[in-house]
Amino acid sequence: MIMIRAIIRPEKVGIVLSELSDAGFPAVTKMDVMGRGKQRGVRVGDVFYDEIPKEMLMMVVNDEDKDDVIKLIMRNAKTSLKGAFGDGKIFVSPVDEAYTISSGLTQL
Amino acid sequence: MKEVMAVIRMNMISKTKEALLDAGFPSISCRKVAGRGKKKVDFSLVEDLLSGGNESMSSTVAESISEGHRLIPKRLITIVAKDDDIKKIVDIIIAINQKGNPGDGKIFVLPVLDSIRVRTGETGEIAI
Repeated sequence: MIMIRAIIRPEKVGIVLSELSDAGFPAVTKMDVMGRGKQRGVRVGDVFYDEIPKEMLMMVVNDEDKDDVIKLIMRNAKTSLKGAFGDGKIFVSPVDEAYTISSGLTQL
Repeated sequence: MKEVMAVIRMNMISKTKEALLDAGFPSISCRKVAGRGKKKVDFSLVEDLLSGGNESMSSTVAESISEGHRLIPKRLITIVAKDDDIKKIVDIIIAINQKGNPGDGKIFVLPVLDSIRVRTGETGEIAI
């Protein structure tokens, strides 16, 4: 199993969530985060913002679905065809075990 | 060293914290998240609230159940522990939170490479 954590623009959450559920990946957890990237934030006039609000989507999927989910998020979280700084990042990490509390089963 | 991430119901957090404390796992971190699972949520249960224009409903509740993002508020607890303790922690969380209904939550166990105590700079299992 693979955990995918995607940090994306807040305004892109709606489209990504609906596309994910249409593609058969309804299970997702969302949390508000603040952060900066390699560009060190954004400068607006004289003010420098280095804590930019973003949303983090966290989901655990089977190994074979990893590429589909990542491609889907990348396609939908981009701000234009080319993309722009601040569109976000996706991190992928291994998951050893997953339990469903209601049934106690060791599966997704 | 492993990390246990558990998504549980909002109202179960204090019981879970207590049970973990009793079992000797006092250190946890938790945060409020919103999420959905595999099951379709029956939002007809709250349809009255939505259509009736109940003004006493707080804006955060209204937002979380509105058409836009149909995610349910949940709590995410994170515990980093030694490999041998993982089974015990998972069993405690399941025992406390299992009501047999969909939506009780999920537990994920992830590997952790290292941990460092900021105060002293110690690394490894003693830093947990």
